[in-house]
Amino acid sequence: MQMNNLDSLPKKKILSLFMTCGFPTLNNSKKIFNEMLSHKPDIIEFGLPFSDPMADGPIIQEANKLALRSKLSTQQSLDLIKYLSKSKNNTSFVIMCYLNTVRKFGLNKFIKNIKSIVDGIIIVDLPFEEEGAIKKSLSKNNIHLIKLISPMTDKKRSQKLLKNSKGFIYYISATGITGSNKLDYKEINKNVKSIKKMSSVPVLVGFGIKSKKDVIDISKKTNADGVIIGSALIQKYFDIKMDFNKYLKSLKKFIQEVKI
Amino acid sequence: MKTYKQPSTVGRFGEFGGMYVSETLMPLLLNLDKSYKKIQKDKKFKKELDDLFKNYVGRPSSLHYAKNLSKYINGPKVYFKRDELNHTGAHKINNCLGQILLAKKMGKTRIIAETGAGQHGVATATVCALFGLPCYIYMGSKDIERQKPNVFRMKLLGATIIPVESGSKSLKDAMNEALRDWIKNVRDTFYIIGSTAGPHPYPKMVRDFQSVIGKEAREQILKVEKKLPDYLIACVGGGSNAMGLFYPFLNDKKVKIIGVEAAGRGAKTEETAATMTSGTPGILHGSYSYVLQDNDGQIKEAHSISAGLDYPGVGPEHSYLKDIKRVKYFGITDKEALEAFQTCSKLEGIIPALEPSHALAYLMKAFKNKHKNKVVILNLCGRGDKDLFTAAKAIGFDADE
Repeated sequence: MQMNNLDSLPKKKILSLFMTCGFPTLNNSKKIFNEMLSHKPDIIEFGLPFSDPMADGPIIQEANKLALRSKLSTQQSLDLIKYLSKSKNNTSFVIMCYLNTVRKFGLNKFIKNIKSIVDGIIIVDLPFEEEGAIKKSLSKNNIHLIKLISPMTDKKRSQKLLKNSKGFIYYISATGITGSNKLDYKEINKNVKSIKKMSSVPVLVGFGIKSKKDVIDISKKTNADGVIIGSALIQKYFDIKMDFNKYLKSLKKFIQEVKI
Repeated sequence: MKTYKQPSTVGRFGEFGGMYVSETLMPLLLNLDKSYKKIQKDKKFKKELDDLFKNYVGRPSSLHYAKNLSKYINGPKVYFKRDELNHTGAHKINNCLGQILLAKKMGKTRIIAETGAGQHGVATATVCALFGLPCYIYMGSKDIERQKPNVFRMKLLGATIIPVESGSKSLKDAMNEALRDWIKNVRDTFYIIGSTAGPHPYPKMVRDFQSVIGKEAREQILKVEKKLPDYLIACVGGGSNAMGLFYPFLNDKKVKIIGVEAAGRGAKTEETAATMTSGTPGILHGSYSYVLQDNDGQIKEAHSISAGLDYPGVGPEHSYLKDIKRVKYFGITDKEALEAFQTCSKLEGIIPALEPSHALAYLMKAFKNKHKNKVVILNLCGRGDKDLFTAAKAIGFDADE
């Protein structure tokens, strides 16, 4: 069986970068991902745009909207990922999406399209109670179903959730939606420690990480193995009033900064 | 037919329903489910709710024999279940009282809700005023524009209205935003969902609280007609008033049940809200049910003249009842609903909301000169005050001061 890059993540300071596919247009999206890939991050998360991204904040919502404006199809997103996989090297590819996208595309067809290309998948609105058949099919094809743990997940539930977990654990740092504010390092540390007692796969902290300082603080003040940055990467596009060339440059600078 | 027993313990109506939410919400929903199960057995809770139903809402709502309308249709004997006479002018208050009592029991201190037509928003704002809890209502900016009287009502009742600018700026987007608020404020907030939609346990809980409508109607019709009705008719957006009326009759095989959806400019056009006529199964707002979606599963925007039916999804229980063919669903256009709105006003002296006007339109169309000697109960789930401006505009009457 083909190797899964997620099985050989580094031990510490893992960097995962999230970006919505097809944002702001399909063509420019390619350029963004190529830029991201050139920095050799440990993980790239490909967001599949959805009309009703219930668990995402305003920035990723806007990115979804822009991507869908040009009627981007699921197939086009998957083709983009396939195209980018040529220069994948050691970077892990992870898809982040909502269940309706996979369901409507067809699970088997979806897996066929991403097999040997994508290492993991996060289905935001698929709780472990409902994952049965999907997890089985994914695991047969060596694609890890990544688990999310929130501060609301109690110990008993975490134990069930984390059983046989693979790839990494996505710890939702704030009880919030992607791109929200405050980070409570004490709470993060407490919860990450407790997760690490139950599982041996790396724990990454996501939601609300905006700057180099945040990345360093997570690394210094908590036991987490790495971070996920999403909204902050997209936010830059709106900050510079959607001038794409300037955006690429600021993206480059930002990624260099957060690679600690 | 076996005794109807839905949903399953994990919130499945057949294959529909379920809990499709992020891990931030899962523990909350499971906790809500547990608390709801507990209060169902709590006699004090039931007593408190019954008392509020009677003395605050004015229940039971009457069952009115619509003689003139029956004569006009020249078909069955039509009864209106008059939930539009409830305090706040619609059936929505039934559910809000149930949920706020539950919120209190769970120690929640902040209430959020979504609203389309504003009826659920008004009902939520009302119960929040009664119980002294801060209230935040998410409402699409398009709906704020077309339901101004209700916006003012909510403000008078002390609620904060949060306009939603995303997507189609109506009910669907208001629900997205309310869910996001909930994810952000999980610890202290209770989300009062107004329809039989959303993740488990909401579809079940809302149905149960609304089923007071059907329970009363059943008793009332047995008293006056000495038999069960031949037909039940109700409009369906998310489906709470309809489930409320239908549920206590589901085991009565002989009672035929009809749900009427908003077809907007036509069920076959892109401007429709007839989810079960034009939609396919998919996942929206945490539940698997019929939705209006494209080939990639992107949810389409709905259209209806009635803000309360302007929703691209429908409750999972309705999806199930459609598939097992226990309930039949039909679409009625904006135009047909608007005509029925006027006909009912003139004939019965009752100005219905645009939502039940869809049910009325179906009745007038499909039962005309037919089904004589039959008995129909139609759920008149809301009054038309809130729609006066929308209707005046559509009819071409200048209602401005």
